[in-house]
Amino acid sequence: MAETAGSSVKARSKQALQDDFLRKAVKFTTERLKNGKRKATEEHGNWEEWRERGRQIRLHTIAHLDYYLNLFADNARKAGAQVYFARDAAEAAVITREIVREKQARSVVKSKSMVTEELHINHVLEEMDVAAIETDLGEYIIQLAHEPPSHIIIPAIHKNKQQIAEVLSEVAGERLEPDTQVLAGFVRRKLREQFLAAEIGMTGCNFAIAETGSIVIFENEGNARMCSTLPKTQITFMGMERIIPSFEDLEVMATLLPRSATGQKLTAYMSAITGPRRTADGDGPEELHIIIIDNGRSRQLGDPDFQELLNCIRCGACLNVCPVYRHIGGHSYGSVYSGPIGAVLTPALMEDPSEWQDIAYASSLCGACWEACPVKIPLHDMLVYLRNRKVESGTTPTAEQVMFKGFNYMMSDHRRMERFLRLGKVGQKFVARDGYIRIKGPLKGWTNYRDLPEIPKQSFRDRWKELQVEIAQQPRPKTMIQDIEQRMRKVLEERSKGGGSGGGHQE
Amino acid sequence: MADTRNKQGSGKARAIYASKERQDEWMQAIADRLGRPRITEMPQHPFRGAPDFWRAYDLQQEERINLFMNNWTNLGGHAFRMSSMEEVGRFLLDFVRETGAQKLLMQRQPELMGLGLAEALHDVECTVWDSSAEEMIDEAAQADIGVVVVDHAAAYTGTIVVLSSPDKGRSTSLLPRALVAVVPASAIEASLGPILKGLDARPKDQLPAGVHFITGPSRSSDIENDLTIGVHGPGIVYALVVG
Repeated sequence: MAETAGSSVKARSKQALQDDFLRKAVKFTTERLKNGKRKATEEHGNWEEWRERGRQIRLHTIAHLDYYLNLFADNARKAGAQVYFARDAAEAAVITREIVREKQARSVVKSKSMVTEELHINHVLEEMDVAAIETDLGEYIIQLAHEPPSHIIIPAIHKNKQQIAEVLSEVAGERLEPDTQVLAGFVRRKLREQFLAAEIGMTGCNFAIAETGSIVIFENEGNARMCSTLPKTQITFMGMERIIPSFEDLEVMATLLPRSATGQKLTAYMSAITGPRRTADGDGPEELHIIIIDNGRSRQLGDPDFQELLNCIRCGACLNVCPVYRHIGGHSYGSVYSGPIGAVLTPALMEDPSEWQDIAYASSLCGACWEACPVKIPLHDMLVYLRNRKVESGTTPTAEQVMFKGFNYMMSDHRRMERFLRLGKVGQKFVARDGYIRIKGPLKGWTNYRDLPEIPKQSFRDRWKELQVEIAQQPRPKTMIQDIEQRMRKVLEERSKGGGSGGGHQE
Repeated sequence: MADTRNKQGSGKARAIYASKERQDEWMQAIADRLGRPRITEMPQHPFRGAPDFWRAYDLQQEERINLFMNNWTNLGGHAFRMSSMEEVGRFLLDFVRETGAQKLLMQRQPELMGLGLAEALHDVECTVWDSSAEEMIDEAAQADIGVVVVDHAAAYTGTIVVLSSPDKGRSTSLLPRALVAVVPASAIEASLGPILKGLDARPKDQLPAGVHFITGPSRSSDIENDLTIGVHGPGIVYALVVG
């Protein structure tokens, strides 16, 4: 995947924020998807119970992943598939290259798969001089434009009709009107030829059924069905955590995934593929190769802070509700996976997270992602753990380290803090105007975009005694969500044991 | 060829990634990560399938039919209720004549073979799925209309389900521009649940290679969120509920 300009989230988002269309398009689309999801979940009813069931199924499967993955591989082989285990992108490339060479393939049709993006499979094929054709409408457009996807569900979300017409006109060799029907019609005809000519079809995999060895693909266009029906050879890439035990469990996933992704009751196509074509069948691939990918996923196993990341069903609901994503768009995250899930997943999949950790700061920690998640992954907590790990690794800038050392010194003694506050009240007279501090100096990361309120005459600490009396008179609120309450209690318990340093990650 | 000696491709560089040793090594690594011995017995799965309240969800047959047809129509499909296969035959003749379709492809299913379409339509090419023929995919790609009798349908989501077999090509419901799905009223379930459970219950060697759940026409919103119908799969989809 081509990386977007700039090396940090800050630099990339600056570029995105200047692109007015991008920002509006992202806002428009995410809002539509978000509202669609709300409508679909309300209509269906009992959404919380479905979410909880989905979470339990994912938790159960991941907790017994050795059993279920093994069962899947055995059953897929019994059905006639060839199953491989690839540790990383390099191993996946070795397997892919060999199959492509053996089939003497000239062209490969691909349906949307985040995993193949992650593994840079197109690059592998390009090096072999084999055409890799993305066949999802959005993916096809951005492939022609040489751009990476910017949304997990709608990859070309950042391009408008005129831009798409320009890109497609070049392929057509004639001017195509910027009309959705015209453009989609052209792509249908163009890609139909490619489907029929390609020697190999490549797909991703939404779920894999352990008990039957089936792979399940959700899609709306029908291109994944084409890729898994027409070419003689099918290669399916799947993350090692895509497993669910049974078709019965698929009903829960089929309830959660489309509703969360696009607000549909079910995608136009849901295909369960078990092995290659049977000997007497008239169509379907003669060979089915399933490449199971680790690529950093197993690192989350057994990690109390991040194991739940493997529960993700890649619906994109967290992107659609994220206030940061809606402002900066997918490219700013600088990786295949964007939005809140990308901010956590990308560093988590990396062997050396230090270079990627700045995307963990592209979040306001508001928790909207967690609320939207159909399997209740606490993404906002994970973002805090990531930041914590970064601080612990000592790779934060010196100025920040010095500042927090000073903060630590000031905060560790209440008398000292009071003295500093009194000093601040006097000192701010030189910089505060109308109740706000606006100077750019050591605080510019904050004051560039917002004003810092001045220290008030009467502080919270000054009022604490009277507040304490007030609180004691009120009944304890019972609104806290049980999950959060439990988690916080756990943190408190650990802290009282003396092991923790503020609820952070411990090895 | 090396293939025939060993299914996993011995003598090939990729064979090590497909070996039993590699598989065991992986599973052991997962168990190690999870901090416990490897699990080789089927674990208790107390949360299998849909929540309890949903298992109780059911509808009378008439309700199922109405809900299915409503959902199918809302998705942009067309749904008609018919009393018999003769009515389906008449509908198909009218449909072919009015649209000027040149080529019709149908699955090798007795219900469809009995319609006598080939005899009634002299100037239209009427093909029946033939798995022994070489060029079936091309036939399907050229067909204007594909006709199938579905194996199952689900009312709650507005879904039809087709299973592949030597007599039932996967391409028939995919490549033609229009799909006509004959839905026996008795095949409509209230929800997806019973259909999926049925797949679990099948003997493993009797699962078809392709089980396709189809919910309305092929669609995409990839261009400026503007809904387009029939991007790759059929854009015109008819559900004829019989019985």
